[in-house]
Amino acid sequence: MEYLLVHFPRSRRVLVDDEFNGRTDELIELEAGTHTVALGPPYNFTPTFRTVRLFDTSALTPREIDFDLAE
Amino acid sequence: MISPNKHGIAALALLLLALAGCAHYPLNEPLAAYQPDQGYRFPAMASGKNTHSLFVCLAFSGGGTRAASLAYGVMEKLRATKIVWKGVEKSLLDEVDCISSVSGGSFTAAYYGLYGDRLFSDFRPDFLERNIQGELTAKALNPLNWLRLASPNFSRIDLAAEHYDEVLFGGKTFGDLPPGSPFIMLNATNLANGDGFEFTQDQFDFLGSDVSRYPVARAVAASSAFPVLLSPLSLKNYPSPKDYRPPKDITNAHTDFYDNRRRYQWARNRASYLTQSERPYVHLMDGGLADNIGLRAIENAYLRTSGFIRKRLNEGEIEKFLIIVVNARTQDQEALSRSESPPGLLTIAYKTATISLDNFSFETIEFMKELQTARKQTQTMLSACQQKLDTCPGQPPLPKLAKSIEPFVVEVNFEALADPSRRQYFLGLPTTFALPREDIGALIDVGQELLDADPVYKAVADSLRPPSP
Repeated sequence: MEYLLVHFPRSRRVLVDDEFNGRTDELIELEAGTHTVALGPPYNFTPTFRTVRLFDTSALTPREIDFDLAE
Repeated sequence: MISPNKHGIAALALLLLALAGCAHYPLNEPLAAYQPDQGYRFPAMASGKNTHSLFVCLAFSGGGTRAASLAYGVMEKLRATKIVWKGVEKSLLDEVDCISSVSGGSFTAAYYGLYGDRLFSDFRPDFLERNIQGELTAKALNPLNWLRLASPNFSRIDLAAEHYDEVLFGGKTFGDLPPGSPFIMLNATNLANGDGFEFTQDQFDFLGSDVSRYPVARAVAASSAFPVLLSPLSLKNYPSPKDYRPPKDITNAHTDFYDNRRRYQWARNRASYLTQSERPYVHLMDGGLADNIGLRAIENAYLRTSGFIRKRLNEGEIEKFLIIVVNARTQDQEALSRSESPPGLLTIAYKTATISLDNFSFETIEFMKELQTARKQTQTMLSACQQKLDTCPGQPPLPKLAKSIEPFVVEVNFEALADPSRRQYFLGLPTTFALPREDIGALIDVGQELLDADPVYKAVADSLRPPSP
């Protein structure tokens, strides 16, 4: 399995491929491959989604991505 | 000149031919509107005595009445296993969340899904102890059915489905499966691409069809349509409702050819239904052709981001995760190896069809065990690293998984029997829908015995056992 870590200034649910699959700053265990990542409401984050290709990660070296607070 | 008598015969023949042409299998219904939160899908919320924190999935293999009886025995044992979870005393059966089944195992799964505890009073006389095979043959030999069978759109599988409705399922549809009962995944095989086909709304969405109005008996018939003995069961592939869009993991997986071939192939097979103009019909056969264990549907739910198990793992809803595989596989090697002459054409055909299935089934179970082991290793490694880090003041903690889970995979298999003569007896039982009562009784008993003797199951049951009074 592959591991994703999503950062956002606030704790928020994470949508992977349009499905709730964990929270920010927690390890999210996923299959290898391409995934679309976004955050749950409220929609005050940017960008609106990120596309990531997960491969060769581990729980100690997850793929890390950031979302910013939208003004 | 044609006599009036001959006129009458000709007219009768024409009438009969017309009637034969009228016979048509019941069509699946189109989906009026796409509603991703409605229909026969894994329930969003746990209900009744069931919690999602103790997550239990069962996989029932194929193997005719042998498989149905073994699965029944395991269900009896689960009902007899008393547990305490979150302070509530119940049976382990109350905590079963999903049952994925193939062929013979689908009868037990569907019956329990529809009728719950009635399984334990009615299923033996209503199905296990009946000569279903003889009844199906009698139906096919009944001249009243010949006309219908002469139609290109009505075949032996449709007669079988009618019979299952009469004796077992009473015309119930997937919409009649009561909320609170385990999620039942009846599996068949798509003859066109060899892929598994689940009778769930998630699968029917691709066909633009409504599974809630589809008879359970027909799904069970498709799941158990053994090649040659029974004909394929057909479904209509409708255009998708206007607002339908395929799940995101399907569209994303189209780029995964190099990164994840399993996900890529799964997505391709699912998406192939969306080309309705090229594939207006789907023809299904025995689920055992794609997966004779019934574990693939659970594996998909565990791996895929849209899978109901993966989502709950990542959301931290699951604490203990138990999979019980009831594998009624046989291995009649001895009889084959005792003969000096090479086996006949029928035996070769049967062996050719089933050897690869058995090998594939073995690999599916091992793959699921490896996934669970990998999860445990990840949790252990994270915990060990964190302990080391804790000795270095000022270091930020490592990120954690949503929840550390206790995963378990148990396989009920005749091979686990220590006594060689008993093992040989069970491994030599035929695949048929008519078994003598003593064989059925022995299968039910051995299902309970094998589950009880499994060291992993013992450990799970012990950890959940209610305190002694």
